[in-house]
Amino acid sequence: MFRLHDVGLTHGNGFVALRGVAMAVQAGEQLAIVGPSGAGKTTLLRLIGAALRPSRGSIDLHGDDPWTLSAAELRRLRARIGVAHQAPPLPLRQRVVTAVLAGRLGQWPWWKGIASLAYPVDIVGARAALARLDLGERIFDRCDRLSGGQLQRVGIARVLYQQAQLVLADEPVSALDPALALHTVQVLSSDAAARGATLVASLHAVDLALSCFPRIVGMRDGRIAFDRPVAEVDETLLSALYATEGGGLPLLAGEPATPALPLAAGGPRRGTCWR
Amino acid sequence: MKHPRDPAAPGRVAAALLALVILWPLAVVGEFRPWILFEAQNLRVMGGFLAAFLPPASGSEFLAYLGRATLETLAIASAGMALAFVLAVPLAMATTQALSISRLGPGAGRRRGEWLRAALRMLLVVLRGLPELVWALLFVRVFGLGPAAGVLALGLTYGGMLAKVYAEILESGDSRPARALLEAGGSRLQALCYGLLPGAAQELTSYTVYRWECAVRASVVMGFVGAGGLGQLMDQSMRMLNGGEAASILLTFLLLVLAADALSGLLRRQLGDGAARAGALAVGPRALAWLLLLGSALLASYVWLDLGLAALLSRAALASMADYFRAFFPLDLSSGWLAKVAWGSLETVAISALGTLLAALAGLLLALPASGRYGQGLEQLTRFLLNALRSVPELVWATLMALAAGLGPFAGILALALHTSGVLGRLFAEALQNAPPRPRDALLEAGAPSAAAFLYGTLPEVSAQLIAYSLYRWEMNIRMAAILGFVGAGGLGQLLYVELSLFHYAQASTVIAAMLVLSVAVDAGSAWLRRWLAAPGA
Repeated sequence: MFRLHDVGLTHGNGFVALRGVAMAVQAGEQLAIVGPSGAGKTTLLRLIGAALRPSRGSIDLHGDDPWTLSAAELRRLRARIGVAHQAPPLPLRQRVVTAVLAGRLGQWPWWKGIASLAYPVDIVGARAALARLDLGERIFDRCDRLSGGQLQRVGIARVLYQQAQLVLADEPVSALDPALALHTVQVLSSDAAARGATLVASLHAVDLALSCFPRIVGMRDGRIAFDRPVAEVDETLLSALYATEGGGLPLLAGEPATPALPLAAGGPRRGTCWR
Repeated sequence: MKHPRDPAAPGRVAAALLALVILWPLAVVGEFRPWILFEAQNLRVMGGFLAAFLPPASGSEFLAYLGRATLETLAIASAGMALAFVLAVPLAMATTQALSISRLGPGAGRRRGEWLRAALRMLLVVLRGLPELVWALLFVRVFGLGPAAGVLALGLTYGGMLAKVYAEILESGDSRPARALLEAGGSRLQALCYGLLPGAAQELTSYTVYRWECAVRASVVMGFVGAGGLGQLMDQSMRMLNGGEAASILLTFLLLVLAADALSGLLRRQLGDGAARAGALAVGPRALAWLLLLGSALLASYVWLDLGLAALLSRAALASMADYFRAFFPLDLSSGWLAKVAWGSLETVAISALGTLLAALAGLLLALPASGRYGQGLEQLTRFLLNALRSVPELVWATLMALAAGLGPFAGILALALHTSGVLGRLFAEALQNAPPRPRDALLEAGAPSAAAFLYGTLPEVSAQLIAYSLYRWEMNIRMAAILGFVGAGGLGQLLYVELSLFHYAQASTVIAAMLVLSVAVDAGSAWLRRWLAAPGA
């Protein structure tokens, strides 16, 4: 699906965000990226999504280096990539239905995008995507009437509606309570699995990553610290990853008192979202 | 629910139908016929005139005229502002609630004070309700051609505006210090200087400087009714279809308006700085230097213009003035004339509405390159175009458009659209630049074409602001549409101009009354609309 060759990124102010990152992901794979804040998770996702150009190394996406493509080809490539953002980039005065339908603007002919502003062209499709996240009733509300968590789920509904072959999720459930976060990641994961799409998610909550994804990438200081199947990820590895954070691993419940939920032996099956 | 329907659709259809039902008659009233522009005869006249624009006239004799006219324009603006200031200060002191002595207690004469204030406020409404050009047109008939009428017209209209805004500024601040001084037996002037000015001086000065900038723009066109300055020169050149001279004058407009813009901006920024580092002295050496400079400039303006004010105040002059104004009463209220005036009002509304609508559309199209979306080169180019569009006054555009499209309201629509698209384009471009970029960027990163990313990502963020700007501009354009008729572009102005030329004063005063009513109605209507838009849930 995509492959990074020794990729590095240095920002204009000299800050090195990524160095020597190499990874290969097959079509249909699902993996989670974990690591402390500032480790470079968001930057890595933006590089994979062809939103940011690496300053070193090269990226092979769907068999092409996106930065050698023509503008039209790059646009077609991007239309096949869906991104769920931590802070959903939705205009607050837009209606939910319009925000969701905007997911397919890259695939629609131009006139359809304009027609949809006058009357939403695919209410059924938008409603189906929203319903999977329990937001079907809010379809005709304006975005500024929604809470932060609801807005984040509208952003995910847009990605579901886009039906992208590569889904990148950057802390997609950071504003949701634990039960809803789990449900939402399950929806993303099962949707990708059903369509054979690739899913890469950066997650703050380690337990959520371990319980839902078969492959875990740990990042620290702009490098990949480890990249293993979930079964081979143990507490020592994670403790080293989060060494400076203090107060234990960041978990979904936000309470370190929870006895290391998915890490305990005999707990729910790992890497499958308890399905 | 198998096929959910969009609940907003009926509302949208209704709004679209309503817009059509309103716009269609307006287009008929405004004689909106764009194809006229492409008729062979109009194209020939306009083409010949424009071809003569190059090269701009640069004969030494003409340039001397141009220089004199430019100075005269600046002098009219400055002298008019001085007169306005002199009128506005006592009126503001008399009408502001913050300096009311009879309200204390309440003391004796409270009822009388309220009546007096109400009467003075009515006077202010009349003063600023009529555009300065209407006053100038009236005064030219008393004082003859020349700058005196322009100075008086500016003085009266801007006096009314300044007094209203001064009174509001004084009321908006903390009124307790002034109240305490009044309660301690101080006079109004003492309470103003010691209680109100320390808090309000900066805002008052800033607004006055801004008004001076507006006065420069206004005095540019005073000459179209014979009240001196650049406008008079422009009027002559246009009548003779002298393209080269017109081009030079238009360039002068551009420079003058941009310079006034820059100077007023600089002065107001300096005021802000000065307030930040206020010293022990109330009047610092710098401020003193500015005051001296200002005073000598005003003195020079009056000397230069040679207004002959003393002669104006002679008994004979005053008597003839009284006779002239007495001729305007009683108003002609016959039903036939009222119907004509009503039609003129409708035409005025049509010109302003269609002109503003066209301007909003053109402004949005120009704002796209002007906000830097298509690179630096196009940004600078469009910004220059926008500046050029807005620096040519509406009245000048109207004379040009009367050549291109013939006399009538359609020329007025085009004139308003051209000038206003310059103004709105600049405001829209700023709004677009300040819009949050992330929604649009996210759509681009998902492969959306840039036009779609703009429609779905940027426009929803700024649309409310764009509509507010357009409505505000429409309010100003209704007043402007009322005077475009002076150069033959339809509406109430054309009626007034014709009736005054025929010495039909009773009919003219009906038209003036209609202008006043329109102006007051627009004020009230836009205030209501703004409250409605600002209300939650709208």
